[in-house]
Amino acid sequence: MRLLILLFCSLLFTAPAFAQDKIFNAESFTLDNGMRVVSIPNHRAPVVTHMVWYRVGAADEAPGQSGIAHFVEHLMFKGSENVPPGEFSKRVRALGGNDNAFTAQDYTAYFQSIAVENLETVMTMEADRMKGLLFPEEGILSERNVVVEERRQRTENDPRGYFFEQMRAMLFVNHPYGNPVIGWFHELDILNKEAVQSFYKKWYAPNNALLIVSGDITMKELRPLAEKTYGLLPSRDVPERQWTEVPPLLGKPHLTLHHPTIRQSSLTRLYRMPSYQQNKDDSLALQVLESIMSDGSTSRFYKSLVVEKKLATGIQFSYNASAFSDGTATLSATPADGISLEKLDKTLDDEWRKLLTGGVTAEELRSAKDRMQDAAIFARDSLAGPAMIFGHELITGTTIDDVEYWPQMIESVTAEQIQDVANRFLNPDNRDKKPYVTGYLLPQEEEQGEGETE
Amino acid sequence: MTILRHAFKLLPLFVFLLSFPAQAQEKFLDIQEIKSPGGIIVWLVEDHSLPIISLEFAFKGAGSALDPLDKQGLARIVSNTLDEGAGDMDSQTFQKRLTDHSITLSFGSGRDHFRGTLKTLSRHKNIAFDMLERALTSPRFDEDPLNRMKAANIMRIRSSLSDPGWIAARLMNDTAFAEHPYAMNSGGTLTTLPSITADDLRGFVKTRLTGDRLLVTVVGDITATELAPLMDRLFGALPPKSVFPVIPDLTVQNGGEIVFFEKDIPQTMIEIMQPGIGRNDPDYYTAQIMNFILGSAGFGSRLTEEIREKRGLTYGIHSGLMELVHMKGISLSTSTKNSNVPELLSLIRQEWQKMKQEQVTDEELADTKSYLIGSMPLMLSSTDGIARILLSLRLDGLPKEYLDNRAEKINQVTKEQIQQIAQKLLRPDQLTTILVGKPGGVTPTRVVTTLPHVE
Repeated sequence: MRLLILLFCSLLFTAPAFAQDKIFNAESFTLDNGMRVVSIPNHRAPVVTHMVWYRVGAADEAPGQSGIAHFVEHLMFKGSENVPPGEFSKRVRALGGNDNAFTAQDYTAYFQSIAVENLETVMTMEADRMKGLLFPEEGILSERNVVVEERRQRTENDPRGYFFEQMRAMLFVNHPYGNPVIGWFHELDILNKEAVQSFYKKWYAPNNALLIVSGDITMKELRPLAEKTYGLLPSRDVPERQWTEVPPLLGKPHLTLHHPTIRQSSLTRLYRMPSYQQNKDDSLALQVLESIMSDGSTSRFYKSLVVEKKLATGIQFSYNASAFSDGTATLSATPADGISLEKLDKTLDDEWRKLLTGGVTAEELRSAKDRMQDAAIFARDSLAGPAMIFGHELITGTTIDDVEYWPQMIESVTAEQIQDVANRFLNPDNRDKKPYVTGYLLPQEEEQGEGETE
Repeated sequence: MTILRHAFKLLPLFVFLLSFPAQAQEKFLDIQEIKSPGGIIVWLVEDHSLPIISLEFAFKGAGSALDPLDKQGLARIVSNTLDEGAGDMDSQTFQKRLTDHSITLSFGSGRDHFRGTLKTLSRHKNIAFDMLERALTSPRFDEDPLNRMKAANIMRIRSSLSDPGWIAARLMNDTAFAEHPYAMNSGGTLTTLPSITADDLRGFVKTRLTGDRLLVTVVGDITATELAPLMDRLFGALPPKSVFPVIPDLTVQNGGEIVFFEKDIPQTMIEIMQPGIGRNDPDYYTAQIMNFILGSAGFGSRLTEEIREKRGLTYGIHSGLMELVHMKGISLSTSTKNSNVPELLSLIRQEWQKMKQEQVTDEELADTKSYLIGSMPLMLSSTDGIARILLSLRLDGLPKEYLDNRAEKINQVTKEQIQQIAQKLLRPDQLTTILVGKPGGVTPTRVVTTLPHVE
């Protein structure tokens, strides 16, 4: 699913052919209690995807309580006033629907895909668990074990899991994004009923939530349903988000991890970047840059390092613009046989320098924009996809128009802007001002195989 | 970074696939069967709501099970290189033309079949069809892209070796399909991949991708009139016929064995398999409902309720009907911390046993039918998704009315029939079990120290 979401995000960086058109024709209004409602029409089949996004995530956790936002997400399935513990998903399923939920640094979201005739039922159930939760004692304990198993599966069982966890911790010093969403292992065991109850009460309120319904429905039909479900809940005081910031960093943070189960060495760089809501123009330029550098096998990085120089067998650069605080970019590559990570690392610097001195060509720019605008059309060929896109964007501070007119905004990006953002955020010779973390993941030292020596 | 509540919930696409439609007499999907002037049969669903066309096709039986033992990964490498240059276009020219027109053209190989997919905007359709035609009729298989694809696959295998889930799946294939072509590594091995040559690829195309094997489905912004002649242009030049070596049928091997691969990790990966039932069997729906109640992905299944919800022993557990052309199985995947492995294995056997001994409840049966029937329209999300559903029907030799009749057949299944099929199928003492990790308190019947078909 994580992959899916990334895909949707990059679709967002994509869009339509006709300059004046909106992509999705979404409509929106706000309930009296402050809850925003968005509908996205798609009449291919008599089904809808219904999502509620809360403006709270792992980044809102108090020190020592890492993992609590995600744990509360699990406990949302452990019963509310009119939906007994464990019944939520079963009821959705008996109605022919699928449901799930996910937690990230900035938000927590719950969704169901279901026949439109059952929409009111799931809205009633979702509103019930927005109103209050039961938090049964034994349910909390067994679900905590489930979350611990989830962490083992994602992180402890594969060195790649904790390698990326550690890299984030090094990049986001003194910032909540430095903690893993799943929580640090040693802190999961101390999350108790009192803690989860107070976290839920603090953040779960209609005025801190966003409703999105995509599919076979109009706003005229959705509005009365929203009013008689979520609309009945009173708004409550929700605290301002208070996040600490990353202080100026010195030096060149570098993580090397040797591990006995690693057979393929790899290199990863993690950058802090402006998010869309921090700087719209920079972000749009970075989105086009991402496409030029890394979209497909004719992109700059792949063509140069894999096809021509044969120093790498794979390379990817991706920029994540959707964040309430800082965005990120990840550059990762695997070396060809006989090529050291150090050599690959230096070549990546050279690629950036080439961009910084030569810029991008008019042809590269045109082709990237066309692709991104086309991708906006493809984004409509999905039921849940558009709801995911709007959720990610609106919850991190982007507007509906930013999404709808994204293709036109991409059109306005210039070659000069791209060179400028590359210079300010990706320049390897400016690293003391914009530090990034470099990570080397390697086989155990005595067992270094092919690929480690030149 | 986002975290899902239940990782396995997104896998059940397969469940949909094996499922669908609503009212028995209504058409679930308006599938047109079209014959080209040259005799190629296509299933088409027209949908002009978006300017998008999706075309899916397969060469039936041309998958990796036919790869020679010393060329494991051959079908995979063909699928990776067919779009790496054709005719007068070298790899970069070919790829750039696709990229510049936002055309998705890709190939893939499973154990049974070799598949392809084309997705394009209507305004680029002529270029898209031209590219597919070139890929199929005049692939270049130049040395340079061939070497790149081999290197990328070797990297993929080396990277996967730190993933215990991948190791468990590999071991299961080798154990359950022992002595059969299915036991090979369809992604190739670190030894076989380097030995694959351009001549191997040319031979593959000539002998495996033939007209008599071809099945095509199309969904989206195109009419039957336009599509029919196009089929002959795209596929008419293929060699007409091929004769494949016979692949024998297989039942799941090594029942009752517990195969152990030690890895110093805190959580053990568990894979289980036993013989199952295919989509063409008259009892298929009954078995599908039984499996749904027993262990379908998501909440409400007995395994998830007993093992995750009540005891917190795992993040995910699910079972499924697994179908290959020559093998039908019931498979189960889960994981738990090392010390819990004996308890979890015994709970799985208990649920197997219970399904044989007692009838399912009325509520379980009603909820399952309701889900399997009610969720069918959810499959109609994307053009390429619908085209893949149609293709899977064709690969299984099912009629285009299959989806229209499905609800009725599901509704006919009774509790008694479910218990009968459970008694016939489920073998709690004959499960083939793979453990990867450092489980405590389990006595394996076989210990494996080297992964087969990897190095």
